[in-house]
Parts: sequence; structure tokens; C-alpha cells
Amino acid sequence: MTRLPRLRWSTALLSGLAVIWLYPVAWTLSNAIKSSADIYRAPWDVPWPPAIGNIGAAWSRGQLGVALANSTFVTALTVAGVLVLSVSGAYSLTRLRPPRRALLLILVLAPLIIPTEVLIVPLFSMFRALGLINSLPGLALTNIVGSVSFATVILTGYFRTIPQDLIDAARVDGAGRLQVLLRIVVPLARPGILAVAILVAVLTWNDFAGPLVLIQKPDAFTVQLALTRFSTLYATDQGLTFAGMAIVILPPLLLFLVFQRSFIQGLTAGVVRH
Amino acid sequence: MVIGSHPRRAFLRRSHREGAIDFLFILPTLALLAGFLFYPLVYGLVLSVHDTKGFDLTSFVGLDHYAHAILGDAVFHQALLNTILFTAAAVVLQTGLGLSLAVLVADVKRGRTLLRLAFFVPFVLASVAVGAVWKFLYAPYFGVVPTVGSALGLSTQTFAPLGDAHWALWAIMAAFLWRFAGFTMVVYLAAIQALPHEYYEHAHLEGAGRFQQFRLVTWPLLWPQTFVLVLLTTLGTLRIFDMVWLMTQGGPSHATETVATDIYSTAFRFLNVGYAQAMAMVLLVVILLMTVVEYRLLNRRAEAVSS
Repeated sequence: MTRLPRLRWSTALLSGLAVIWLYPVAWTLSNAIKSSADIYRAPWDVPWPPAIGNIGAAWSRGQLGVALANSTFVTALTVAGVLVLSVSGAYSLTRLRPPRRALLLILVLAPLIIPTEVLIVPLFSMFRALGLINSLPGLALTNIVGSVSFATVILTGYFRTIPQDLIDAARVDGAGRLQVLLRIVVPLARPGILAVAILVAVLTWNDFAGPLVLIQKPDAFTVQLALTRFSTLYATDQGLTFAGMAIVILPPLLLFLVFQRSFIQGLTAGVVRH
Repeated sequence: MVIGSHPRRAFLRRSHREGAIDFLFILPTLALLAGFLFYPLVYGLVLSVHDTKGFDLTSFVGLDHYAHAILGDAVFHQALLNTILFTAAAVVLQTGLGLSLAVLVADVKRGRTLLRLAFFVPFVLASVAVGAVWKFLYAPYFGVVPTVGSALGLSTQTFAPLGDAHWALWAIMAAFLWRFAGFTMVVYLAAIQALPHEYYEHAHLEGAGRFQQFRLVTWPLLWPQTFVLVLLTTLGTLRIFDMVWLMTQGGPSHATETVATDIYSTAFRFLNVGYAQAMAMVLLVVILLMTVVEYRLLNRRAEAVSS
């Protein structure tokens, strides 16, 4: 008789929990390719043959194409803005000396403590006066303000691991600051920068409160707004709703799956180091 | 030695200017924060002491809005209570669950990456999708929660967690934990894997069991992570809006109202703008207080480990 490897209780427990954790995700994705009738009639069945029609219907009837383009634009603009600001800001924070640095760090951290929710009313008022309601760059601006502090903090942690002698040596050799930043600091901190970019992209793509308040015109809807309108308009057509959800959650999911290792490493390194 | 021409001297003199130029690199961030964080904050303060028509100021009312919010608004009291309760529960449960998962996963020989992935995936899903999916999971008759609950004899098929004033907030909490416990786990897991192995061997030789090892080695050495995670969870939860809004809109009868949903309804549905901003300022004070208290309580232990 062969001895079975002893199944440890912790492994069994973790596997069970992992299944519970993944179940809502798997259920959403499988419902996206089920007909609405099947979602109710046979909620546990494997979707076969897949009702691919849902995806196309969700795309056209939910105007997801426009929303995906809008979200992509806002996300790209936010990531670019946050990276430019946080790379240069983190460089500055690693170069400056303690008393001034501590003060600046507190200022940079302010958005973490003063959340958008507290400022949403004056921000709306300001944006109205500036004509930035329904403006996608305006939305990107609020996202940049919300993300720039943790991005700067994570990158400061990364930049500190770069030996200052290396930077000083390059400076003595006559390299300008911008050159040092782009040729030495950025390449060495690439994992951190990648992680920050992915994190900001995921958070911006998924943001709901910002667009809810600042975007009112359907042409400027982000995917999250399109999705909420979706579930009210087609509340009776579950297959369609799930297909819309699948389309909206897939881009960040794929981004995460592809860059899983560097994303988690960058995230934890940034949190652990402070 | 000619002092004036000493290269080090020259370098130091220049370094003053160097510092000024280094400062320029953070100036764009500061300018952005000045325009879109500090200015709205000041304007928010102004709004909160005025009556408004639409979004325009009409008359100065002093601290009337604050007095009404703090003394006479039962919905706001409920919202404040819910927010603080939810945050306290989130801090304890998310930290506890995340740490338990991390300790268990760190111990697994094979499939660690896969488990980490499974628990972290909900973090990258949009709150709109999370809210919609959990509404389905909670739906009476059809949803998996009432179905499993009735199969186990815990509830009936008609049980609607989100429609029940006693359960709604905790039903949202379950979805919240599902979404964010993986984040806590991932941070703890990275830290646990970096802990020096000798500590455990030493504890083992001294005769410490697994629980003792956790209590005497793992837990105290994780204070820096606990500090940051508790602070981040607090700051992230006191502002909670999206998941609540998407799942219950604060209902039934304000049972899940949070300060942020109250601000949103008051300002954008009832157009009581000045008053809504006074509530927002009260929330800001709560956030600042909690941050200071947690910083004081936890920072020293975290520093003791770091050094």
C-alpha cells in the first residue's frame, strides 16, 4: 500500500478558502457567456456552449467602446502625470537634507490624510467654475492629486537604495541632474516605477467616486459609469450585465496577471520600507 | 593651504545652490497640491460657514451648520457611528485575516504563488463590479449566500442581507474583507519571508511551540508592517463611499449610511451644499484625530523594530 502524502490541515484550509475567494470572480466571468435564462435556471452549470452573443450585445448596447476609450485616455494621462511628478519628487526627497525633507514629506503625504471625499464639494464647485465638468483631463487631474503621494513615497523608498556615491560621481563627471535622473536613477528603480505605474493604472481605471461627481455627459462616461448605467438599463438582462462587467474587469485583471511578480514586489517593498 | 580655493569649500558653497535646484524637482507636485488640495480645503472651509443656493454662497451663517450636524442631525450621527464602527471592524478583521492568511501561506511548501494570487485578485477588481457581484450573491432565492445559508439551516431562502437593517453593514463588510484582505496578506507575507530564520530556530531550541513562535517572534517583528497597514486601512475606510453607495446607497433607512455617502446625498441630491461641506470638515477632523492616535500608539513599537 502506498502511503498518501499527509494532507496538512493548513493546506486544506487554505485551498478551501482560495476556492471561496475565486468563486465570485469565476462566477462573474462564466455568467458573462451564459444566457440570462441559464443564469437563473442553472447557476452552477459550466457555460457550454458559450453564449458569446452577450459580449457583442453588451459592447454595442452599453456603448462600451466609447467608455473604454475614455477610461484608457484618463488612465494613460494619470499614469504619465503621476510618474513625471513622483519620479522627480522622489529624486528631490532623496537629495534634500532632513529638516526640509521631513516638512516636504508631510506636504506630499497630505492627500492620503485629506481624501477626495472630504473635498468633493469644493472640487466640484471649482471644476464648474473652470469649465472642467465632463472634462477627461480634469478627471485625470483629480486622479493625479489622489495618487501622487503614495507614488512619491514608494519611489522615495526605491531611490534611497541607490548609492548616493554613484550619483555624486556622475555629477562630478559633469552630468546634469536630469541626465543623472534619467540615466542612473530611473533605470535602477525600474521595478518600483513599473509597480507604481500598474498600481496607479488599476486604481484610476477602477475609480468610481471621481467620475460619478465630475462626469455627467454620457459621451464622457468612463467604464465604471457606463457599467452602473448598464445595470439599471438592462437590469432584467443578467447575461448582458455580466458580459459588461467582464469587459470592464478584464484589463486590470490581465495587467495584474502579466506583471504579478513585479507588481506585488514593488507594492510590498514600498510599504515595508516605511 | 589657501582656504578660499579649497575644493571642498567650493563644493560646500555650491551645495547651497544645489539644494535649491534639487528643491525645484518637487515644486510641480507642491504646485498641484496647492491648487487642487489646499485651495479646495480653504474654499471648503468657507463653504461650510455659508448658506448656499446651488453651489453659490448666499449668506454667512457662522458655525450653524456645524452645530446642526453635531447636535441635531440624527442621520449624520448614524453615519458617523457607522463609519467609525465599520473602520474599527475593518482594521481588526482585515489585519487579523490578512495576517492569518500570510502566516498560513508562508508555511506552504508548494503553490504559494498560486494562493497569493487567489487572495489578491479581488484587489484589482473595480468596486462597481464587486458591488454588483456581491448584490447577486446576497440576492434572496437566487443568491448563493441565502441558498447556502438555508441549506445549513442558518437562514431562509428569503433572507436578504442587504435589505435587513441589522445585517446590511456587515454584509458590506464581508465584501470589503473579500476585496482587501489579500492586500494585507501580501504585505505581511513579504515581511514574514524576509524575517531571519535563526530567530525561529532559536525559539524552537528553547522549546517554543508554533503558537509561541508566532507570539514571540513573528508578531513583534511585524510591528512596522502592522503600523503602516493599520494606518492605511483606517485612512482608506473612514472615507468609504463607493462600495456602500453601489450596494445599498446608505439604506435601508440609513442603516449603512457612512459620512461620505451622507455628504454625497446632501450635496448632490438635496443640494444642501454648505451643510454637506460642514459634515465633510467634521469627517476630516475625525480622520486627523484617528491618525494622530494611531501614530502615537503604534509608531514607537514600529521604530523599535526598524532600528
